[in-house]
Amino acid sequence: MPVHLPAVDADPAAAFPEVNAMRAALAARDWLGVRQLLDPRDWAWRSLLVNAVDDVDGVDQFLRQVLARQPDDTVAATMLAAYLVGAGWKIRTAQRAEYVSREQFDRFHEHLRQAEQLLIDVCAREPGNVLAWQERLNTARGLGLGQAEARRRYDRLARYAPHQLSAQSTLLQQLCPKWGGTWEAAFAFARERALAAPEGAQNAVLLADAHFERFCSLDSDGERAAYAQDPRVVHDIWTAAQRSVLHPGFRHEPGWVATRSVFAYWFGLIGQWAAAAAQFAALGHLASEYPWSYLDGTATLDQFRIEAYAKGGQR
Amino acid sequence: MIRQLDIDGVPTLLAPTAGPMRAGLTFRVGIADETLARSGITHLLEHLALAPLGLTDHHFNGATTPTFTSFYTQGSEQDVVQFLAAVCRNLHDLPMSRLEVEKEILRTERSSRGVGPLDALPLWRHGARDHGLTSYAELGLPALTEHDLRHWAARWFTRENAVFWIAGNQVPAGLRLALPPGVRQPLPRMSSALPHTPAYFVNGARAVVLDAVVRRRTAAGVFAGLLERELFRSLRQEDGLSYTVTAGYQPCGDRASLHALADALPEKQDAVLGGFIDVLAKLRVGRIEQADLDATVARREEILSEVEVHAARLPGLARDVLTGHPTSTVDELRAELKAVTPADLHQVAQEVTATALLMVPEGNTADWAGFTAAPTASSHIIAGTEYREREGDSVLHVGVEGVSQLVPGAVATVRYAECAALLAWPDGARRLIGYDGITVHIEPTLIDLHPAAVGVIDQQVPADRRVPMPPRPPERIPQPYVGAGGHPSVGWPQQVTPPPAARSWWEIPLMVLSGLAALGVGGFTLLLTLAMLFPDEPDPDDGFLWGMVVAGWLLTVILALPIVLLRRRRRR
Repeated sequence: MPVHLPAVDADPAAAFPEVNAMRAALAARDWLGVRQLLDPRDWAWRSLLVNAVDDVDGVDQFLRQVLARQPDDTVAATMLAAYLVGAGWKIRTAQRAEYVSREQFDRFHEHLRQAEQLLIDVCAREPGNVLAWQERLNTARGLGLGQAEARRRYDRLARYAPHQLSAQSTLLQQLCPKWGGTWEAAFAFARERALAAPEGAQNAVLLADAHFERFCSLDSDGERAAYAQDPRVVHDIWTAAQRSVLHPGFRHEPGWVATRSVFAYWFGLIGQWAAAAAQFAALGHLASEYPWSYLDGTATLDQFRIEAYAKGGQR
Repeated sequence: MIRQLDIDGVPTLLAPTAGPMRAGLTFRVGIADETLARSGITHLLEHLALAPLGLTDHHFNGATTPTFTSFYTQGSEQDVVQFLAAVCRNLHDLPMSRLEVEKEILRTERSSRGVGPLDALPLWRHGARDHGLTSYAELGLPALTEHDLRHWAARWFTRENAVFWIAGNQVPAGLRLALPPGVRQPLPRMSSALPHTPAYFVNGARAVVLDAVVRRRTAAGVFAGLLERELFRSLRQEDGLSYTVTAGYQPCGDRASLHALADALPEKQDAVLGGFIDVLAKLRVGRIEQADLDATVARREEILSEVEVHAARLPGLARDVLTGHPTSTVDELRAELKAVTPADLHQVAQEVTATALLMVPEGNTADWAGFTAAPTASSHIIAGTEYREREGDSVLHVGVEGVSQLVPGAVATVRYAECAALLAWPDGARRLIGYDGITVHIEPTLIDLHPAAVGVIDQQVPADRRVPMPPRPPERIPQPYVGAGGHPSVGWPQQVTPPPAARSWWEIPLMVLSGLAALGVGGFTLLLTLAMLFPDEPDPDDGFLWGMVVAGWLLTVILALPIVLLRRRRRR
């Protein structure tokens, strides 16, 4: 049993110090610096960097200034749109619709409409701008543009980045019943994209995510316990893990903290504490908001870590 | 080549053809020159002019469009000569004995033609006047008189307002165009019912449709071809969302209207809309490939290289002559096509976006893409005497300036001065249609209306806007308390439909009160009755108590009565 557990750090910069470089460039209003950080990197990296900067003060004003000088700068437009989407979602909160006020919805939609119109332009100029299409999955969902439209957007994105996990996770949300989809569609997509990605890639976590969504949608503890015991679920979790976090080719690329966290949680749920402990050990002091934000944040995380080290840690 | 001639004062265009002789006589008059209250007059006149020709062996036809009316024929020289002589004669000596029959035929034509996905657009863009009138039924037909028709023919079907074209080697001997003198008529104005563009409206058709108005030029025609190509590639070839994808360009005077349509399966309508908007955006930001431009231009050049090109251009050139638009030769058109650049198309794309009216399928919007919702209600409420609906929450205001119909959350206002048509049924029902397309429908059986109120409306609306409607059978006149069928279904897109009758606020409290009182009195009476039937000891005052029992039961029934009545009222 471990004597003490390291305090967790959920700042993405803890896993990826480049995030701090990005924050610094934005805080210094250094657009050239921002572009030098973003331009050489792949879409997964750009997604990570762009989504980690909405806590920089006045970043939206800065991006608007950049756009005023260079109206066809698609990077600035996409970043501003991503900022607006994030800010809009903060206004809406993650509550179920019945707990969101009319005024919150109005402001949320206004943010998303602004973002969407910036993104329509970016995608018109650069049909291969994966980040813009990814943000358009968020605007489509928030504005209720429909299942077929969300799928069209994803398909456009996938022509350029068939294994973009962050976009796949966003579409998976749309495919769940809470956003107007069906479990059949959600699982079909998760399985298909999990298998399509190379072995050792993170994408198999989509299947664990789909089960996690379904698990969270259940009403009672009894139902949830039964779901976690279901041999088909257990089988899916192991299969997905072996294809991703347990695969020798698994790399710590953007998104890996959340991916390991999802499996750590699932291994705990299905009573595989040694496997859970291995994931927590790989995570060390690193944490991600997801999946713990669905539960009750750090309380569940702490509980699972303690239990994993107690029951499955090295003795 | 095309030769310009003059026949009896009518400008005439002649071009050779290898096929049979064809000819057309076109007048600068159409539906957009009419008023809603007398709409259908041009079409009726066109039918009457052709009616006496009856069954002939050669082919002929007539066509009434928003701004032109044409008579076509194809056959031998003799057929053409006779056809035109008959049309010119009939136009000014109308076969009035056919009047009622032709009115019936027009009604049948309208109902069998059905409503296409493009039919709603003019109303939303222009309202209930000039270019918007094509969206409406031919409301004026029943009331049109012989006098109206003669007057209309004398004003519009004149030699100064006509152009004749003929595809053949020469003008047939003996061809006469005996038309009375008149004046060349300018194009009708183009009203707008859209306070902001780009705009959108929702329609039940399973298609996304774009309508735009641009300055007429060769690049705009090429743009329509390019738009069709882009929509086809994106929505059909790449995404497999649409089957039919079309775009069209109709020049008229120095302006042109541009349309594009993409159909959609019910479950794919949102994606077709999204893809359509993205194609428009691609062109708006100027991402136009030279290869696509070249392919579109090549298709147009092919048409210009066809052997019959000169003959095929005649109807269009006739319309240009009528509107005073300069006509160009095939060589000039070829040179213009070659000169079109991606930058020209980019400019057209921006003009299309700025003037766009988008029709989106039910359940969708386009505000997220920067399109403003076209008005479906009025912003102003007319002050006047208020009349409440007998069942439901609708309130009608009848004022000296106009009428307003208020339903929760929406207002429909029609000012008398801006009333395009007042439909008047003999049973007292009225429908006012404003120039903006907003409609107020009044059913006297459903509103607590002062009998004089309808008289006020009738007096205030100018007489030439009144459309007398035929009597309705009693079962078509809505009656109060008829549930869902209480409001007649009115087919106007911008009608503010009152919601189904709601329960009045006092009904539930009254039913509860009545129920409690009936229960209290009834309970007491029941106990008393039981006590009387099974007495512990004989009572000398028996008679008085039995009276109490009878009175108690009576009172219970009276108290319970409101529940029964209210429930029966709701069920009806």
